[in-house]
Amino acid sequence: MKRILLACGSGIVTSTIARSKLEKYLNEKGYAGKYKIEQCRVSEVPQKSSQYDFCVATSMKPQGVSCPYIRGTAFLTGIGVEETMEEVYKLMDS
Amino acid sequence: MDFVLKIFNYIQDLGPSVMMPIIICIFGLALGAKFGKSLRAGLTVGVGFIGLNLVIAALTGNLGPAVSQMVDRFGFSLSIIDVGWPAAAAISFASTVGLIIIPVGLLVNIVMLLTNTTQTVDVDIWDYWHFAFTGALVAILTDSIPLGVLAAVVNMIIIMVFGDVTAPLVQESLDMPGISLPHGFSTAYAPIAWVFNKIIDLIPGLNKIDFNIEKAQQRFGVFGEPILIGTILGLIIGALAGYAFKDILLLGVTMGAVLVLIPKMAALLMEGLLPISDAATEMIKKRFKNRGQVYIGLDSAVGIGHPITLTVALILVPIAVFLAVILPGNKVLPFGDLATIPWMFVLITPIVRGNGFRALLVGVVVLAVGLLIATNLAPLFTQAAIDAKFAMPTGASMVSSIVDGANPLTWGIVRMNGLGIIGTVIVTAGAVALAVWNRARILKEAALLRVEAIVE
Repeated sequence: MKRILLACGSGIVTSTIARSKLEKYLNEKGYAGKYKIEQCRVSEVPQKSSQYDFCVATSMKPQGVSCPYIRGTAFLTGIGVEETMEEVYKLMDS
Repeated sequence: MDFVLKIFNYIQDLGPSVMMPIIICIFGLALGAKFGKSLRAGLTVGVGFIGLNLVIAALTGNLGPAVSQMVDRFGFSLSIIDVGWPAAAAISFASTVGLIIIPVGLLVNIVMLLTNTTQTVDVDIWDYWHFAFTGALVAILTDSIPLGVLAAVVNMIIIMVFGDVTAPLVQESLDMPGISLPHGFSTAYAPIAWVFNKIIDLIPGLNKIDFNIEKAQQRFGVFGEPILIGTILGLIIGALAGYAFKDILLLGVTMGAVLVLIPKMAALLMEGLLPISDAATEMIKKRFKNRGQVYIGLDSAVGIGHPITLTVALILVPIAVFLAVILPGNKVLPFGDLATIPWMFVLITPIVRGNGFRALLVGVVVLAVGLLIATNLAPLFTQAAIDAKFAMPTGASMVSSIVDGANPLTWGIVRMNGLGIIGTVIVTAGAVALAVWNRARILKEAALLRVEAIVE
């Protein structure tokens, strides 16, 4: 079970979009049930990051993040989603 | 026509928690989603509205009496409660202008792209609510829905141009190539920050100052979180209201709960709108794939992570409350949007080139002016909330917000429309002029790109 932290500015709007896309791609690849996602505000990432396997965020990286960090802006623009998902799959399998 | 209007009025009289599911479901079907999915999306939005109404009732019902006791004891004039952006968004989407804002916004974007007056494909459908907010207030003020829709369009045109112009900055300082932030709130502060920055550049001495404040966020960041802001403010207000100790504690925890729960309800609205926003995004992107330099317009939330933005917003939380108390003419008690202050700085920070001193200075000024604007717009805001059938605090108190109640662009458009037809003509002409200027800029940029391509 991988614990994924999904962050955006409010922990509400853009992270909800990114979450629905991320879940769709992960489930299509057969990862359903193998991960748990929690949404939060990007300002909470430094404190929370140590309890998660990796973090996907629609915002730039704040200082003091202690887990792998993936920029998830591609889920919003639809450009470069494959590259982003490659990184995610790698972390899911690690 | 009369019959159509009657149906329309009947549906709107049902209130947003019934009306929105119907509208969203119809939108979903029209965009080709399956019936089950559309219905579920619509109902999710309805659930969001009912949830928001419950939490706002908890907010105004508990905070309202405490604030009025505090006002009686100390003579503060803070009778307007800041209900925050989720309520403002819900009120906007539930207004008549809000009902049609998604198709109208898409149309404005498409027309602007076709006429080369913007280079942004705005896929941030959710944030159309900012434009609907302006439109809803104008519709109430002028008692005219068409004028409200026009105001929303004017607001969107202006923001789209600002979004284009600031896109290179977003790329450079927020490290997001190919993205612009045509956001009704954040982007409205871009020209203000630009003017301030130019003025400070010219003042000897002042232009040398910079604060190194990035570290504060790491150390005190937890105090910028809604749960603590809510609880601490609840405790302070309870104490100032002269409550018994146990009631002070209860008010503290309740206010913490309110600030945590309100955005969760907004998440339901967002989730319900997602199928619509997905379909709209696909449609608009497919159509404008083969153009030159095109930006994808996103929610400015993607730029919140900048350390200066987070730190300055954190420092401004107590300053905002202090300003509210001492500022003559202000009646707004900042609360719901205290955790939303970072949105104000998404573009201010890159424009002042990450200078902490300047960001803070601009922040204090726009917040102080913003409080007066929020006070000024409160009667319209309250009327819009009543129209959207939100539970209002008992007694004479009103509601407002910082996002977008304190937005200078929103205020300008609303008050200009309040001047009558001359005002409407002036703001509309202003927006068109900006669009035409932007077209010239885009064509020049495209010509340069072509020259570079030939040289290479």
